[in-house]
Amino acid sequence: MTNTTVKSGDRPGFRQALLGYRADARVLRWLAPLRNHTALVLLIVLLIVGSLSSGVFLTPRNLLNILWAVSILGIVALGQTLLLLTCRFDMSVAAVVGFSGIVTVLAQINGLDLYASIVVGLGAGALVGLCNGLIVLATGANPFLITLGTNLLIYSISLSLTRSKTLYATAPGFNELGRGQLFGFLHYSVVLFILLAVVLQFVLSRTIFGRTIFVVGLNEVAGRLSGLRIQSTKLAAFVLCSTLAALAGIVMTSRINSTVANAGFGMEFDSIIAAVLGGTSLFGGRGGMLRTIVGVVVLGVMNNLLILLNVPIEAQQIAKGAVFLLVVWADSALRRN
Amino acid sequence: MQRLIGLLEKRSAVILLIGLVIAFSGTDSATFATGSNFQNIARQVSLDAPMVFGQAIVLIAGGIDISVGATMAMSAALAIGLQPYGTFTAVCGALGFGLLLGLANGLLVTRGRIVPFVATLGTMSLVNGLLLTYTSQRSLVGSDDAFAWWGGGQIGPLPVPMLVVLVLLGGLWVFLERTRQGRNLYAIGGSNDAAFLGGVSVEKGLLVAFILSGMLSAVSGILVAARLDSASVQLGGDAPLMSISAALIGGASLLGGKGSIVAAFFGVLALGVLNNGMNLLGVPTYTQIAVRALILIAIVAVDALANGLRRRNLTASRIAE
Repeated sequence: MTNTTVKSGDRPGFRQALLGYRADARVLRWLAPLRNHTALVLLIVLLIVGSLSSGVFLTPRNLLNILWAVSILGIVALGQTLLLLTCRFDMSVAAVVGFSGIVTVLAQINGLDLYASIVVGLGAGALVGLCNGLIVLATGANPFLITLGTNLLIYSISLSLTRSKTLYATAPGFNELGRGQLFGFLHYSVVLFILLAVVLQFVLSRTIFGRTIFVVGLNEVAGRLSGLRIQSTKLAAFVLCSTLAALAGIVMTSRINSTVANAGFGMEFDSIIAAVLGGTSLFGGRGGMLRTIVGVVVLGVMNNLLILLNVPIEAQQIAKGAVFLLVVWADSALRRN
Repeated sequence: MQRLIGLLEKRSAVILLIGLVIAFSGTDSATFATGSNFQNIARQVSLDAPMVFGQAIVLIAGGIDISVGATMAMSAALAIGLQPYGTFTAVCGALGFGLLLGLANGLLVTRGRIVPFVATLGTMSLVNGLLLTYTSQRSLVGSDDAFAWWGGGQIGPLPVPMLVVLVLLGGLWVFLERTRQGRNLYAIGGSNDAAFLGGVSVEKGLLVAFILSGMLSAVSGILVAARLDSASVQLGGDAPLMSISAALIGGASLLGGKGSIVAAFFGVLALGVLNNGMNLLGVPTYTQIAVRALILIAIVAVDALANGLRRRNLTASRIAE
């Protein structure tokens, strides 16, 4: 996993706080990757706990189901990660997930074929991202509140498009995208999620655009003075984030072959949790796509375990909030040192 | 231009309020401009107002509180759910919860050094979980008529919750304008560092602001519970947006250090009149949601533009020196 910007092991304050004493250099070298990959450690712990506490947990079928369940959130989280790296958020992804599905289905109802309808759905998402980006960049306003506003706006548009009813997809073969399986066991949505993560990680670490994203999050002024195209990169991050949310919405719609306006309920929050859990910083410039995969899977495994252990669904919300606060606290403690 | 922006910023709530009243009286005077409708508006607005006061105080101190809605809903649930132990206990429980949550928010921000909106986003999620667990997603129904009087009762022409709000308004005005701690909040919001160098305890100020916000949200929750004589998990969903919009319309700024409690009151009044007018005109729900969203986007964008302009002027005057 590429953590490109901050080297681990050079935070003496945190080291002392963590261990309470000046530890032996060898122990620290051994601990450094642990700290740097908290989510991975958490995942392993959860897997061990899960296999001990439930007989069905560690079956391939259950694990594949977890992946299938989280792949949609995962695609949203990838876009969110991209924006988080620039030190920005998109709270409108929740509404975009519903909106893109609705637009896609409406396009099908109005006679467009499968591929054209998907393109229209993705375009609708991109348009929302463009609006978000333009408003934020033109006014310098707080992206959190602006996207909270567009979230509500898009939701109301979705409501008026559907008249608050459920819409059913009509294009033949659309269902295949959400329910179909590669080699008979791996869902297309999982493949899509992993593939996108790998491609985006490559873009982040190997292209000028990707490197500029990190620079925006770390030191915008320095980037501008070195002649990087800061503004267009920020705009592109907004558009990409919304487009990925739209893709997630389309996959979700194809999975159940129908859609409602609040299909993406809670996803804005969950996608941020997943990204931050994976180790992407809320303060920009640190993180990556492969980390987000781990974060998303940890969330999925946690949910799965809580269900298998018969923990009431309400308590899962508490667990999510507590995990979020813990991770954010650790993130800002790390940043200070 | 600058004076216009300045005027718009300071008096936007009053201007908006007057404009809305004139517009709705013009289009639908038979139902809008009646005494009973104004009483309706007053009752409706008074349920939201304490929460908006809290949000305004936090904004003045340079923070933001996303958890107000969740706190309000949880307090409403406690105010109803604890009634078997006596109404007084129930109200104290609700207020206590608001205090605890405000304290938690304040500690996360000051000791945990977490950005306010992230910290309160986290506590919002946590409290939503608590609320779901506490209510098991059912509605709770009250059993005490004396308690319901606080939401539905009337003294003369004034609804009781409005009286509560007016008392709060007076108290908070004195706190913000006439006490040292209140003035300190403006200093902290204006500039953290300057306030610190001036001998102001920034930590204490932020703690006070968040605790007030938590408790005022709890007051909103109690009033809502009294008005509906019930509580459910659906309460408070749009509260963060509404309270931020109202406080910003009332002249507060996301950069902190600005705003007043009276202006925030006019902000929430303006939103209340808008909602009431749209309902009377039969505007569809989704259009109403869209209008609310557009108001938030516009007010946040205007706030950012005004702040940008001020910063540019400041830099220009420094260069001139």
